[in-house]
Amino acid sequence: MHEILSQEKSIYIQIKEMIEEDILRDILLEEERVPSTNELARAYAINPATAAKGVNLLVDEGILYKKRGIGMFVRTGAKKAIMEKRKKNFYDDYVKRLMAEADSLGITKEELVAMIQEAPAGE
Amino acid sequence: MSKIVASGIVKRYGEKEVLHGIDLELEQGKIYGLIGRNGAGKTTLLSILSSQNPATEGSVVVELSSAGAGEQEDWKGKDCSANERVVEGRSRTDTDENGRENGRTAKTDMGHAKNELRLETVRESVWENPKALSHLCFSRELNTMVGNSANTMKVKEYLKIASLFLPHWDQKMADRLVAEFGLDTKKKISKLSKGMLSMVTIVVALASGEEFTFLDEPVAGLDVVAREKFYQLLLEEFTETGRTFVISTHIIEEAADIFEEVILLDEGNILLKENLEELLERAWCVSGREDEVDRATAGYTQHHVERLGRSKSVTILAPKPGEAPNNERTDRLEPKPGESVENERADRLTDTDIERGQSGRKPGFTRGSTGLTIQKVSLQKLFVALCGEEH
Repeated sequence: MHEILSQEKSIYIQIKEMIEEDILRDILLEEERVPSTNELARAYAINPATAAKGVNLLVDEGILYKKRGIGMFVRTGAKKAIMEKRKKNFYDDYVKRLMAEADSLGITKEELVAMIQEAPAGE
Repeated sequence: MSKIVASGIVKRYGEKEVLHGIDLELEQGKIYGLIGRNGAGKTTLLSILSSQNPATEGSVVVELSSAGAGEQEDWKGKDCSANERVVEGRSRTDTDENGRENGRTAKTDMGHAKNELRLETVRESVWENPKALSHLCFSRELNTMVGNSANTMKVKEYLKIASLFLPHWDQKMADRLVAEFGLDTKKKISKLSKGMLSMVTIVVALASGEEFTFLDEPVAGLDVVAREKFYQLLLEEFTETGRTFVISTHIIEEAADIFEEVILLDEGNILLKENLEELLERAWCVSGREDEVDRATAGYTQHHVERLGRSKSVTILAPKPGEAPNNERTDRLEPKPGESVENERADRLTDTDIERGQSGRKPGFTRGSTGLTIQKVSLQKLFVALCGEEH
């Protein structure tokens, strides 16, 4: 967790995405404690209320859960749930934008498909 | 929960009125950012809130709730005749927290059956009232001059005086901060650089241990490493104690992340006091071809208008959620005669657009057909847009 916060997105969204990213990359494991809002606040020099807002979004989505008096933990199955969610958003987030950009550059659908087939697979 | 309540604060210096009826409530456990241009009245406001400067009109009151504060014993049972004593009829079963807090009070306050069952709120006027002032600290900017001569007081003497005036002074923390900043306490105030003067005010503010602490431009003159250190130290102290901080600053971009709420002071008036995240979620920069931008933002006040050839960019502030939009915009989803609903929607910013921007997945987004770019705005940009215009 050491990405630098950017101005383009709300900070709490970035905190939420960082935790998701760390779960996807096995930096945070299931049933493991996530940093507390105070720890996040100090690490990123942000207001703890902002950090809490990001963490609470993940609680609402069922990715994290609260153990009273101990802290927030990653729920079993969280990694799969995040992947499912991102797959669902893949079309909106990437495909639509790809098509729009291709369209404005005059790239045809066939050319686009050819490009995708030639492109090396991600690591 | 303690809080500071200022109502109807007016300040005049001779003919000149610098604050025009400020109403402000500061809650416990928040970091407030106080921003405004030079001469907006920030320092005057902070000095009035902390009784270092009398208000021409209006009042400042500290509301102290008896639960939870150990030093409340100090005034319990003593003469409060000059002050209004308000007893709120909340029972101890209100919430878990109250119950626990009251339980603690009960132990220390055996025999006072009434106190066991009630949460008391005591309102103390701030003006020259040690009971209220013992909860406040305004660490002012230091001057290298006293009247016409140099301020020859040494740093350690200044800190000693601060320790005598501030009842919750934490000497260990003061020593630690002096070491962290590498301050030479044998130096005279008049010999300090601007950055060092700021360091001294930071040491006083953080070591004061006061529930409500005001810092006036604490990072002025500090180098970037020292500024980062300050934000870090402040957050450490805040996360450990939950003290309330009000910080005025001109380095908005940097400090914005640590604020929970922002108070925007413009020419002696409070223009905005709002949760920072919520404020930024309704601020948008819309750019594109001029006629398209105008159509999409019709009904909103256009701030910070910039034109370059055919393109135009404006900053708009959407209404708060739940609040009615500007009058002109209430009809925004109704088609004009001869227009289909779809066209109308495509021509104007819609709630869906704003939601898409808020979802955070896309930093900015473009309306396909119209080619509008809608982007988030930083606090600094919003500040310039709102306060930078000619009046």
